[in-house]
Amino acid sequence: MKRILSVFLGVLTAIGGFVDIGDLVANALAGARFGLSLVWVTMLGVVGICLFAEMSGRVAAVTRRGTFDVIRERLGPRAGLINLVASVLVTVLTFTAEIGGVALALELATSVNYLLFVPVVGFAVWLVIWRLKFSALENVFGLLGLALIVFAVALWKLGPDWSEFLHSIVAPRKPATEDLSTYLYYGVALFGAALTPYEVFFFSSGAVEERWTAKDIATSRVNVFLGFPLGGLLSVAIAGCAALVLMPQGIEVDTLGQVGLPVAVAVGKLGLAVAILGFVAATFGAALETGLSTGYSVAQYFGWQWGKFVKPRQAARFHIVVLLSLMAAIAGVLTTADPIKVTEYSIVFSAVALPLTYFPILVVANDPVYMGEHVNGRLSNVLGTLFLFIIGIVAVAAIPLMLITAAGQ
Amino acid sequence: MTDDDTFDLRLRLLDRQVVDPDGAMICKVDDVELVPADDGGYVVTALLAGPLALGPRLPGRLGRWTVALARRWADGPDPAPRRIPFERVTELGSAVVLDRTRDQLGIARLEDWVRTHVIDRIPGSRHESE
Repeated sequence: MKRILSVFLGVLTAIGGFVDIGDLVANALAGARFGLSLVWVTMLGVVGICLFAEMSGRVAAVTRRGTFDVIRERLGPRAGLINLVASVLVTVLTFTAEIGGVALALELATSVNYLLFVPVVGFAVWLVIWRLKFSALENVFGLLGLALIVFAVALWKLGPDWSEFLHSIVAPRKPATEDLSTYLYYGVALFGAALTPYEVFFFSSGAVEERWTAKDIATSRVNVFLGFPLGGLLSVAIAGCAALVLMPQGIEVDTLGQVGLPVAVAVGKLGLAVAILGFVAATFGAALETGLSTGYSVAQYFGWQWGKFVKPRQAARFHIVVLLSLMAAIAGVLTTADPIKVTEYSIVFSAVALPLTYFPILVVANDPVYMGEHVNGRLSNVLGTLFLFIIGIVAVAAIPLMLITAAGQ
Repeated sequence: MTDDDTFDLRLRLLDRQVVDPDGAMICKVDDVELVPADDGGYVVTALLAGPLALGPRLPGRLGRWTVALARRWADGPDPAPRRIPFERVTELGSAVVLDRTRDQLGIARLEDWVRTHVIDRIPGSRHESE
């Protein structure tokens, strides 16, 4: 019974923790401009994150080694260092976007300028990372993130013609008014939002934090293959709401309020309150994950002690890295750069950085000396290789598309 | 180690995580000390760690700067990389397991410095997370 409960809890937190500021913004943006014609990209992205999260979780459970530990080992110190610098830059940019997102959500709730919340949010993030137990941190924000189910409720209440709705997902047609390059650029953004590299760092390091062993692989698979797709459905619901409410009105999303607008229309004030709670939980939870991920990555590259399973003084350098990246993120938000724009850039650069993380994971998950009986099966390998190919194309295309479309204008 | 008479040092030893008997992380195998053996091959006599071992393996200017900075910080006239005699190694797997803890080995001065000067001054640094 206890086992079933813990699996159930794991799935719930995987659903609630799936969406972050990148998913919120990208899906609402794409839904408002392209209707349902880009939902297939989100679905493809969910398949990818499931594949690679499962692989990195399995590697961590079998070997107790986090992703960056493995990256340095396979790529060597040079390529590993370039990879580390790129990954940390993207993760700190994402961290900045998440903290900005929490502050924007609090502004929505209180009408007080978001910049005033930034120092408070920053301190709260640090305090939680410093004091709260890993499992508590994951469960609390994962469960609160479930408030975003209100987008599914809103979609239901908006009552679209479901057969038409599904048809425009499976047979996507680009709106005639939009250029192909813009369509593809938003596709890249959605892909980057679904597959953000920090999610893999966090998932694999979390497996070590929670002391998973080979016995926990089955549980991890349930979390990933059930929780992530259901979390992905929340992304689709956000896009669907935007497509039904914002697109017909010609509203383009450039504030967090507009992301929540369809919920206010369909469910009313109380619904909006729940949505805002969901925004706060999702972005705050993701801020913790990105902050920890910078510490995990740097410490794992250099072989330092890391993790919340030891006292802070036993992982001093790890905590310093987290603290420094938090300061960088707070400073980033305080430049008054629009957090929604920062989010857009963070997901596109995530797409560029994806192969750096995913390639070494695939290589190690395939190493029989390392993985023993838990080495990749044929299906994982075929799909993993296929995905790496897609990720490579997306990464190469991202920057040129950004330049051609002037970042999707 | 294996029945095969070649051992791929780069794949199976270099850049591996080094841990103590309880699994606490100590350092990476930043480099190794090789001594020619009688049979014409080489024997690994020690694991080397720290910026003075890693620096020379980094490209160009970055590598030189790493070494120069580490030399400047080190005390003593002729600083050398942190050296862990190979006899300390008890297991070679996904990590290299030693029979000593980090404190017993006395390596990683940066960790000690950060601990005493920063982390220990923040309330709660000695507590487990709750």
